[in-house]
This record gives sequence, C-alpha cells and structure tokens, in this order.
Amino acid sequence: MKLKTFKAGVHPQYNKELASSSSISPIKPFPSKLSIPMSQHLGGPSEPLVKRGDEVAIGQLIGKATGSMGVNIHSPVFGKVSKVLPKPLVGGKMANYIEIDVDVEKTSNFVWQKTNVNISSLSKPEIINRIKEAGIVGLGGATFPTHIKYSVPEGKVIDTLIINGAECEPYLTCDHRLMLEKAEEIIKGIEIVAKLFPLKNIYIGIENNKSDAIAVFNEAIKSSKLNITVSALKTKYPEGAEKMLIKAITKRVVPSLKLPLDIGVVVSNVGTIYSIYEAFYFNKPLIDRVVTISGDLVKKGLNILAPIGTPFENLVSLVELTSPEIYKVVVGGPMMGVAVPTIDYTVTKGTCGILLLSEKISKAFDETPCIKCGSCAKSCPMGLMPFNLAAYTKAKKFDIVKNYNAFDCIECGCCSYVCPAKIDIVGWIRYAKNYIKATQNKNNGK
Amino acid sequence: MEFKKEGYILASSPHIRRPVSTQKVMLLVTATLVPAIIFSILFFGTKVIALYASAIITCLVTEGVIEYIRKKNIKSLADGSAIVTAILLVMTLPPSVGWQQTAVGSFIAIAVAKELFGGLGQNIFNPALVGRAFLSAAYPVSITTFEAPAKVFKFLPDAVSSATPLAAAKFDKVFTPISNLFFGQVGGCIGETSSLALIFGGIILLLIGVTNYRLVISYLGTVILFATIFWIKDPQTYANPLFHLFSGGLILGAFYMATDLVTSPTTNLGNVIFGVGAGVLVFLIRFFGGYPEGVMYSILFMNACTPLINRFTKNKVFGT
Repeated sequence: MKLKTFKAGVHPQYNKELASSSSISPIKPFPSKLSIPMSQHLGGPSEPLVKRGDEVAIGQLIGKATGSMGVNIHSPVFGKVSKVLPKPLVGGKMANYIEIDVDVEKTSNFVWQKTNVNISSLSKPEIINRIKEAGIVGLGGATFPTHIKYSVPEGKVIDTLIINGAECEPYLTCDHRLMLEKAEEIIKGIEIVAKLFPLKNIYIGIENNKSDAIAVFNEAIKSSKLNITVSALKTKYPEGAEKMLIKAITKRVVPSLKLPLDIGVVVSNVGTIYSIYEAFYFNKPLIDRVVTISGDLVKKGLNILAPIGTPFENLVSLVELTSPEIYKVVVGGPMMGVAVPTIDYTVTKGTCGILLLSEKISKAFDETPCIKCGSCAKSCPMGLMPFNLAAYTKAKKFDIVKNYNAFDCIECGCCSYVCPAKIDIVGWIRYAKNYIKATQNKNNGK
Repeated sequence: MEFKKEGYILASSPHIRRPVSTQKVMLLVTATLVPAIIFSILFFGTKVIALYASAIITCLVTEGVIEYIRKKNIKSLADGSAIVTAILLVMTLPPSVGWQQTAVGSFIAIAVAKELFGGLGQNIFNPALVGRAFLSAAYPVSITTFEAPAKVFKFLPDAVSSATPLAAAKFDKVFTPISNLFFGQVGGCIGETSSLALIFGGIILLLIGVTNYRLVISYLGTVILFATIFWIKDPQTYANPLFHLFSGGLILGAFYMATDLVTSPTTNLGNVIFGVGAGVLVFLIRFFGGYPEGVMYSILFMNACTPLINRFTKNKVFGT
C-alpha cells in the first residue's frame, strides 16, 4: 500500500527502539509528594480551590477553570495539601502550584469503578460538558482545551475526524504503547467523539515505523460499527503536525492562518481520545498520563503512567543511565520539546516525554554564516523561506518578516535541524513572532 | 545511579541537529576535486602544485588578515571555503601563469569578491571567477597563452596544437577529437580539461545532495540544445554538441562554479532559471561573441541576477 505523506520535512534518527518495547506501567514506588501547577494548558491559569492543610480525595476538583479557555484540574491522589505557592513552569513562566502530601496506601488501594454509561443516549452538550468537567486537553503536547476544540462554531460542518497516532517526534513512544495496549478503549473513545459531528470519514493516522500498531488497529476497527480507516503514514518528521497530517490523509489544505475546522476537520491525539474514554466509562478526570522516559543516555527507556504533578526526579530515577553526565533534559520530543535547567519540575497534562540527552547528540552550536544553501527552504513543510526570515529578524526588519509569512511557521524546527551553518533559524522566527505580537499588543493598549 | 540534577544546558528546540556543517560541505567539495587535481598535475606537470600552494596560502592569509581587521573570529578560516576558492581559481587559469599572478588573483578573489561584501555567505559573485576575471584584464597575454598537455594517455591521438580546442574550432575550424576532450588531453586551463575527472567528482556531489542537479542539467542541457540545433544546420562550421559539452570550462563551471551555494539561487525553480540563463549566455558567447569561451562570464552574469531570481522564485507557502 502506498504510504501517505506531505511535501518536505526531515528524517532525524528516531531512536524509538529505546523505549518502544517497554509496556505502560504504573509508577512504582508511588510518589509521596505531588506538585500540581495551575497552568497546564493553553489558556488562562486555573483557580486553586484548596488551601494549605486541606484534605483532598482522588478525582476531586482542586483547580477551577477560569476564562474562556480555562480547564479544570483534579487531584490525582488522596492526601493533604502542604503548600500552595508560585514556582516556574517548564519554559520559565510562573504559576501557582498545589503541593500534596500523598496518602500512598489509600491511593494505591483505590480502583476506578466502571460506570454503566449508555453512550448512545448522550446528547452533544452532555458530551462536551463531561469532557470539560474532566479537564481534558490535547495530549499531543499543545494542550489545547478539548471541549473548546469540539465546540465547533455555528456554520462550520465537521465531516472528518482524524485521530493522530503519528508520533513523529524521535524517542517518544507513549502514543505507540497506548495504541498497542488500549486499541479497543481508543475505538470506544472515538465512538463518543463521533457523536458530536456529522462525520463522513474517520481516520487513524499512524506512521509506518509503528507497523505493529497499524496491525492492531486494522484488527480493532473491525469490531466497531463506525467506518474507521487506518491510514499508514510515511515515517517523516513532522508527519504528526496537524496541517501536515490533514494534507497527508485527506489531501485538504488548511488555508494560511486558518484552523482545521475551517475545512471541516477535527484532529485529536490518541492519548486525548483515551482520556475521553476514561472520563465516560470510569468517570475518571484527566489525572494521569503516559510519559516516555528516554534519551541517548538511557539504557532502556520506559513508558510510565504517572499522576499529574509527579516530580521528574521520581521518573528519571527509574531508568538506568549510561553516564551520569546529563547535558540536556528535554520535556517533550527533541524537535519541539523544551529544555529545562534542573530536575525540579513536575509532570503536567502536556508532558509526553522526559529525555535525557548527551552532549554528543544535543550539543548547542555556535552559529556560522548562512551559505544560502537552501536546505531550510527545501525541508520547510510550510513552504517558507526560513533563512530569509532569520536574516530579516537579525536585521530587525519585522515588517518584512511578517510579509514573508512568519505567522504560518508551525515551529517544527526542520530548518534549524538541517542547517549546515548551525543557525537556530526557528529560534529567530519564534523571536520575531513574539516581538511582533508584543508590539501589536502594546500599540492596541495605547 | 547518582546523576546530575541541575546545570543542564538551556537551548531552544530543536535539540538535535543534522550532522552536517559548512566545514564538512567544503571538505566534501575539496575531496571530490582530488581526481581533477591529480589529472591537472599529470597533464601540466608539477609546476601547477606551486600554483595551488600559492593560491591556498594567499587565500587563507588574506581571509585571516581581513577577518582579524574586521574583528571577526579567525577560527572561521577552518570552514574551508577559502581553500575551495583557491583550488577552483587555479583550475581556471592556464598552466603558464606564474605563482605571483596566481597570488594576485587569489587576493582579489578573497579580498574584493568575498570579504568586501561581508565574508562567507554575503558575496554576490563567485570569488574564484572574480579572481580569474581580474587576471584576464590584468594579464591579458599570459591568461590566454596555453600549452600542450603531457601525453598521459598513449592511446589518444596527439593534441593538434597548443591552442584550446574551442579557439581552434572557432578561429581555424579544427575540431579536436571528443576522446581527447573527455579525458582532458588537450590544451586549456589547469583543471578544466578533464571532463572525466570533473564529472566523477561532480556526480558524487550531486548524489550527496550538496549541489543541485537541476542547475547542472539545465545549464548543460541548454548548451547542448543550442549546439545541436546549429550543428544540424551546418556541421562544417559548428562543432557537434558533445564537443561543446566537454570542451572549455563548461563541465567545471556547471558542476563546481555555477552550483556554488552562496551565489546560486535557493529554490529548485530558481536553480533551473539560473542554469538556462547561463546556458544561453555560453551559447551566445561561444557562437557569436568575440571570445572562444563564455563560461566564466555566463556564471558571473547570472550571479548578478541571483538576488532577483530569489525574489521571484520563493516557495509557495502552504495554504496560500
């Protein structure tokens, strides 16, 4: 069968075999302390509902959604709030954290009971509301509030649902394992989401370096009443980027600066769908997620089901290292993830992986002059001229940067990856975008 | 295991990079030129080694001094671009030039064509060709004085004269056998005569993806196309297309000069436009111009057009 794909992109070393054979296992020993940030999603921070000394129960709402893009946050454990304090998030911004001393015994003994939910009797608002209550966000990394994504504005007709199982980032295997181990549950999750839209097509896009997952789903879709197609995708980065995935599978092109819903498509990550399944079949809010712990310094990577708020140290101490000299720690994949300066961070809803990287593989280079080779332009999936954008940013010609479609950049990092001059092209573009946005906000405020 | 818990390196994504650097690209280009360098020494004697040495030393010293004056990091000399320029410059010179003239050309190539424009990546014109153009103007006699090559390949017929095949064809209607042209046993510039050696190295570069095959094919293709038309019309007056392909500096120019990353367009379409434009110019100069050869001017002229080509051949942005 011909593999589906998009134009351009890059082929980094995937190194998925480090963790792809490790099945999902609950964290052991269970962390005695959780630290849960009130800002884990795209949108305004949640409002803490508990204070120091409060007892909390598993699944209890502890952070209330505020604003139009707010998301609920629930306690993943039984325990007692020890502190509510501001600390930095991954990436450097500050947020309130709720710290919980965990009642490990009580939490470990707790089992989520299956509900006798009748999916076919649920109305659309009931589904959206349940997703909202459960605090579900896109688990692919962007953490966009799922109930907002599914609340399609009047006049937009969604006829295509794409489940994103591409997992094109090197090293990460959390979606891969989830697809292998929870295929039936994911199908049940799809059946819930499918009730929201007048769908004509449902696709599950999986890169062909996960042929076992493709096989599992080809089998699993047979039992579903829905007409689901498994799309085998070419292994290429960034195959899982929303616009690229839609192009590869449906040939539809999301117009510049528009959203997938403008062309009738909704894309959700497999992890998101799984958490929707749990929210309906177990009444379980989004309180844990699968985190891949890997990297070239790791002997064997792991896929751990970790409660939100688990300190990275608890996870990193589970893997055996080939050297204690960690050069970089990256949260997420190596292409788009964020580097952190210390281990003192905790798992959030968007934490798909923690990568421990050596200097050899993740060395930060000094930039040398651009030799106009055009590698970046050839690799850019959005068809931009990245080296021009970087050069004009350096020259502070922000109006030209904007006219050169800087805001179409999806920040996948292919340009920086291929650049022989080691210029951090995507870094410059990001800088320009932030600068232009900040200037606009300033001008609007006047 | 106890591990480092803080002091990790902070950098923005992506955190992995393709294992390619400017230095590696330049090294590759140099490595693929080795066969042509060896052929040039075989054909024109060990004296050309002195010319290569003169050019390489002058280019490195010139670049080093100017970078130092501009308060740049002299470590950038290690990128190897000056060495590539030096080798290519020597290859475009006749074997009879002296090491002093070579040094002057090298100085002009680096100081004027490269550093005056802002150094690596900023130059508009191919530095080696600017150096060569300067020498053509400064020493018009010695730059057009050619000598017969050594008889390296005994099976080939004797080279007819010490004039270049293109000049012999254009002014005396004497056509050199294609086999001599292909192996390079003809009069000509130091590194340009052996099409065999240049194509061997050039194809390696194309396969690795350092140079753009679209430019090479459109450049050579355009010359072949026009040469064929004229040859069919009047084979007595005009040499056949293979003669035009393998004679003069066309192969060297197409594989190594026109494809210079800095001075050629960025996009695939831009590369085709560059190639066709340069091909037309070679044809016009060879067939109608006063000079027997036009590769140098064709590339320099298209270099000047490159910013314009780049401007009008931008990629199509996804979703627009």
